Amino acid sequence: MSEGFRLKRILAPALAVFLIAGALSVPGANAATTNPRPTRIISLSPSATEILFAIGAGPQVIAVDDNSDYPADAPMSKLSSFTPNVEAIAAYNPDLVVIQSSATGAANVIENLKKLNINVFVEVTPNNINDAYNEFVALGTATGHPSRAKALVASMKSQISEIIAKYRKKTPISIYHELDNTPYSADSTSFIGQMYSDFNVTNIADAASSADSGGYPELTSELVVKANPQIIFLDDAVYGESEATLAKRPGWSSIIAIKTHHVVALPADIPDRWGPRIVDFYRLVGKAISTVN
Amino acid sequence: MTTATERDAIGRIWNWRITAFCCAILFLVAVAAVSFGPISISFTQVFKTLFNLPGHSTGIDRTVILQLRLPRVILGILVGSSLATSGAVYQTVFHNPLADPYLLGAASGAGLGATIALTSTHHDLAGALPVFAFIGGVLAVAASFLISGKFFADPNTLLLSGIAVGSFATATQTYLQQRHSAELRPVYSWILGDLTSANWGVVKWSAIYIALALAILIRISKQLDGLLLSDEEAYSLGINPKRLRMIAVAAATLATATAVSASGLIGFVGIVVPHLVRGITHRVTNRSLPTIAVVGATFLVLADLGARTLLSPAELPIGVITAFVGAPFFLFVLRNRRKASA
Repeated sequence: MSEGFRLKRILAPALAVFLIAGALSVPGANAATTNPRPTRIISLSPSATEILFAIGAGPQVIAVDDNSDYPADAPMSKLSSFTPNVEAIAAYNPDLVVIQSSATGAANVIENLKKLNINVFVEVTPNNINDAYNEFVALGTATGHPSRAKALVASMKSQISEIIAKYRKKTPISIYHELDNTPYSADSTSFIGQMYSDFNVTNIADAASSADSGGYPELTSELVVKANPQIIFLDDAVYGESEATLAKRPGWSSIIAIKTHHVVALPADIPDRWGPRIVDFYRLVGKAISTVN
Repeated sequence: MTTATERDAIGRIWNWRITAFCCAILFLVAVAAVSFGPISISFTQVFKTLFNLPGHSTGIDRTVILQLRLPRVILGILVGSSLATSGAVYQTVFHNPLADPYLLGAASGAGLGATIALTSTHHDLAGALPVFAFIGGVLAVAASFLISGKFFADPNTLLLSGIAVGSFATATQTYLQQRHSAELRPVYSWILGDLTSANWGVVKWSAIYIALALAILIRISKQLDGLLLSDEEAYSLGINPKRLRMIAVAAATLATATAVSASGLIGFVGIVVPHLVRGITHRVTNRSLPTIAVVGATFLVLADLGARTLLSPAELPIGVITAFVGAPFFLFVLRNRRKASA
């Protein structure tokens, strides 16, 4: 099992919300009341890093975690977003730390950072795009850029409605979004599934979703072949999956999407983050489905 | 009053100077462990701060030493001594050098308890994870006891039922995990075991149970040597082996379940440390239990130091270190022992 594959297995479900404990859901907006404009920010979330730089808080950011690879000028460090190390964070002497509520031992890390008098912004994985917009504004408020954040949200909303208006299907087409080769997928209740739904598509993963799957059900090859999707989006393209590897899976060569070459390799990270590049994702999906009849 | 000859006889069974020496090493290792971390603080500063001497650190350094590092080192001491002592006791009770503290299902039971807490639809239950793990561990061992028949007639039956209960708990846990794939990561990180959750609250409640369990085990350590003989011989020494085994396993389970619920599943300590102490001193007596506890504590504090400094700022799961360092060292001791007996 490759490292990438394992990471994907872990990352994909991590997109689903897990509020670890009631005590954890500290509203981010109230986090930095003592200092309205922090100057030494650490972001331990790739999404938050993208948002911070997009709303003009970039110059205040002194370090970001080892997965925050966008934008290129983000000061990437060895700090981990999954297993945050309080002391390593404190060594940077930050005045605001953005941390994911899904990080290992988040409750404990937050408690210890507070003991060190460091403000914490707890990022709860959003369920939908409106949650994400709320986080943009909350981060804007916490870092002293509320108007830039609101302007960004407004601009994203208008761009996205334009894209949807242009590419939305009159009659639904069927799509399959593959997270990994298990195969895990994302149904219409997931964050990414809701974005597909905006284009009036039928998500084949909905047939497998249950109360326990949390928006990311595990499918079977049989189900995918039987559902016969018209277009396939590969979120695992970065881990080596392609139209060619899909066609080699038993029975898959009969799937329309593969026969008609409607297999879209999604770029790394964009579909997995809820930053400003959501617009790029909408555009990419819109263009892709416009080629399917 | 012990006479001079009696003291001499005990001295030949166990030399207490070894214990004192190990305590001194533990003290040094503990202070060293508090001194190392991403924020560099000098050894003398740490020493002054720990003992509140004039010139001690203030502000952030003081918080780092007293709130972040010290509880973690103390939890390491508690967990290490629990696992090592319980392992030694299990090995005596079951006449089995491969016995470890997780043998009777304590680990799988605790794992199941933790998974139930993490995958529960009531998200606030995750905060009660240690309680669930503790209850799971104790219930699994209790189930092994009940299935094997009362009064602990045959250690081998108990061992087998422990394996069955453990497999059942693991299967249930895997099923729950697969159904709730979103919670896989916290479950796995718990299973790998770590001391990152250490804070004074965890240290306090686990210290109570672990101190109680260790006190019982050390108090009965002299009688435990009777279990190294056959039951008939033990009776002739005035020891009730069935009752003694019950007490020993109950206390060892209390210590193990507490350790597991505080730090997840840390493997290998319970096997390596007792054999290490016995191998180096060439003694099998359970009078070595206090020493085994101290060496277990030292081993785990060192392993945790490695876990948090080797890949700093990332952390290695401590179980990786205990196995990576423990396994070769263990083989070395085994080899030497074989040579000595050959």
